[in-house]
Amino acid sequence: MRAVRFHGRGGQGAKTASRILGTAAFLEGFVAQDSPMYGPERRGAPVAAFTRIAQTPIRERGVIVHPDLVVIADASLMQDPAAHVPEGVDERTVVFVNSPLTAEQLQSQTSLPGRFTTLDLTGIALQQLGKRTAISALLGAVAGSLIGLGQESIREAIARELAELGLAAPMIERNQTVAAQCYETVPRVAIDVGLRRPTAPVPLRTPTYDPPTRGAASITAGPNSAIRSMAGWRTFRPVLRPDLCNGCWLCFANCPEGAITIKPDGKPAIYYPHCKGCLDCVEVCPTDALTVERETAATREA
Amino acid sequence: MNADMMTGNLAAAWGARLADVDYVPAFPITPQTEIVEALSVWCGNGSLNARFVTLDSEHSMMTAAGAAAATGARVFTATSSQGLLHAFEVLYTIAGWRVPLVLVNVSRALASPITLEPDHNDVLAARDSGFLQIHAETCQEVVDSILMAYRIAEDPRVCLPVMVNLDGFYLSFTREPVSLPDPKMVQAFLPPFRPTHLGFKASAPHALGTAVFGGATYSYFRHQIHLASMNALQVHEEASVEFERLCGRRYDVVEGYRLDDAEDVLIMTNAFASKGKGAVDAARAEGRRVGLLRLRMIRPWPADAIRQALQGRRAVAVLDQNLSPGQGGILFQEVAACLYHEALRPRALCSFIGGLGGKNISEGEFRAIFEQTAEAGINGQGIGPILLYTEAEHREMVQLQVLAGGLKS
Repeated sequence: MRAVRFHGRGGQGAKTASRILGTAAFLEGFVAQDSPMYGPERRGAPVAAFTRIAQTPIRERGVIVHPDLVVIADASLMQDPAAHVPEGVDERTVVFVNSPLTAEQLQSQTSLPGRFTTLDLTGIALQQLGKRTAISALLGAVAGSLIGLGQESIREAIARELAELGLAAPMIERNQTVAAQCYETVPRVAIDVGLRRPTAPVPLRTPTYDPPTRGAASITAGPNSAIRSMAGWRTFRPVLRPDLCNGCWLCFANCPEGAITIKPDGKPAIYYPHCKGCLDCVEVCPTDALTVERETAATREA
Repeated sequence: MNADMMTGNLAAAWGARLADVDYVPAFPITPQTEIVEALSVWCGNGSLNARFVTLDSEHSMMTAAGAAAATGARVFTATSSQGLLHAFEVLYTIAGWRVPLVLVNVSRALASPITLEPDHNDVLAARDSGFLQIHAETCQEVVDSILMAYRIAEDPRVCLPVMVNLDGFYLSFTREPVSLPDPKMVQAFLPPFRPTHLGFKASAPHALGTAVFGGATYSYFRHQIHLASMNALQVHEEASVEFERLCGRRYDVVEGYRLDDAEDVLIMTNAFASKGKGAVDAARAEGRRVGLLRLRMIRPWPADAIRQALQGRRAVAVLDQNLSPGQGGILFQEVAACLYHEALRPRALCSFIGGLGGKNISEGEFRAIFEQTAEAGINGQGIGPILLYTEAEHREMVQLQVLAGGLKS
C-alpha cells in the first residue's frame, strides 16, 4: 500500500488534491481510499487529507500515521504545531513542499527528516492560471508524479474532480495543462517501499478523577481569541490604499474574523495579526482600494 | 462492474435513489448534510421522482417522515448526533405506528463537550426505540444496507422503521470504490411498497397510535413491536440470500473475520472494524490466533449468531465506541448477557472503550488490546472497562488544559 498525506489550509485544495490522486489510482485499477480531516470548516485553518492506494482491500481508515509521501501545500504549516506535519515522518518519507526554495535550502531550515522535493506551485498558479488559490490540480499532479501514477489518469482525474466542483471546461483544461507541466518538472525522489518495523503496544493510561474546574471542558477567552495570531495562515495579504477608499465599510462588514475596524475618520484599518488572508475584503471592495500582496516568511511576521 | 469513487454520504443518497423513494423530509447537520444535498439536487433535476421538503427541525422532520409513511409513501431521511436526539420522542412514536421507513444516521459523538467526529452514543441511545438498526463498515455496505433495510422494513412480518448507521468522517467523508446495484436488479429485489395496514382515504379516516389505558392493551401492542423486531432476524436472512443471488454480495447479521481457529476474538462495529481486521492480520502474522466478530445488526440483537461465534473461545474483547457513564460499554453488557447461559462460554470477557469522539485507535492500541485479552484468557478473569487513551495523548491533554486555563496553572 502507498499512503499519501496532504497538508494545506482550508481553501487551498488539499482535499481536492487527495481526491484527484484517489480517482487517478482508481482509474488505473487500484483500490483507493481518500478522506479529508478538518474541524469546523474555516478558510485558512490547517486541514489534512489522506489517500491510500493498494492492490488489495484497505484495512485502514482515517489519519495516516506512517505516510510514504507528505504533500505540503503551504510551507508555513511546517511551523504550526496544530498541523501535525512531522507526525510519522522519518528518513525514508518523501516530503514535497510548495515553495520557491530548493529542496536543499528548505532542508537546511527545518529539523524535519525525510527526503525533500519542492516546486513553486503558488508562483506557477499565479503566473499561468491567474488564480491565487487554485493549486489543487497542481498538488494532485505532483503527488501522482511522485507516487508513480500515469499522467493520463491524473489528467482524467483532474477533469472529473474539478467538474464536480463546478469549474467551467476552459478553466479545467488550463488546469490540466499547467498540472501536466508540474507533473513533468517536479524533481522526483524514489519512494521507499521497504517494510516498516512493527509497532510496539502503546502504554495506556486511565485518567484519574479531576474536579470540574479541570475535568469539565471550559476555556478562558484570552488564548482563544485576542492573543491568537493568525498571521501565519496568510499566503496573501490585503493592503489598503486609503486614497482610493470611499468609506463604504463593505470590507468591515464582510471580514469573517473581525480583523477590520473603522477609524475615527470613517476609513477601515486592517489588524494583521487577526487577518487570515481570505481576501473576502478584496472581493467586495467596489473601488479596488484593497490590493493583494504575496506573503513571505519575513512579511508574515511584520 | 459499474463502480466509482464515492463517499459514504453519497452512497447513502444513492441507496435512497435506487430504492425509488417517494418522500424525503430533510434538515441539515454535519456530517450528514451531503446526503440531503445530493437528494435535493436529484429531486430538483428530476433524476429522482420524489418530493423533497425541508423542515424546521429534526423533530418535525421525523414527524413528517412517519406521517408520510403512514399514507403509504416510501420515505427516506437522514440525520446525525444532536439531530437524532432532537427527534427522539418521534422515533418511539412512529415505531408504534409500524411505518417501515429508512432513517440513515451518520454517527457523531454527542455534546458536551461538542465535537463533529464519530462515536456511537448517538445511534445506540435509540436502541430501545423500536427501530431496527444496521451498522455499516464500508461505503459499499451503506448503499447495499439501505436497499436491504427497505425490504426488511416493508415485510409484513416486520413493518418497523430501520436505522442504517454509518460513521461520520470515517465513512461519511471517505471515498472508496462503490459498485452501484443495477436499477433493474433493485426492482426485482424491492417490489413496490403496497402496505395493507397503511394508506390514506379522505372517505375513511382513521387514527394511528391511539391512546390506550389500563396497561394490558399497551402491553399487547408493545409486545407486538418486540415480536416484529425479532422476526427481522429471519427476514434479514432471506433478504441476504436474495441480495447475494442478485448482486453477489453477502451480508449477515454478524460478520466473522479469521475466526476459524481463533483463540481470542475482538468484537467491533462500524467503520473502525476495517482497522480491527488490519490489526487481526498484523497479530496473525506474529502467530497470535485472533479473529474479529463484527456486529452488523444491533436491533434485533442477533444473540444466537453471537453465541455461536463465541462459544469455546479463550477470551473475548468487546471494543465499545460509546460510553454509558456509571456503567461502561453498552455492547459489552449485551454481549455478556447473551453469553450467560452458554455452556462453552469464553473464560474471560474484556471491555475496552475506544474511539470516543473519533479518536484514532492506533496499531499500538490494538496490540495492547490483544495482549491484555490473551492474558485475561490465561488468567480466566475478565477485565475492564479500559479506556483506550495513551500516555502521549494525556501529555497533550495536560498542555491543552494549561492553555484553556489562560496559561495560569
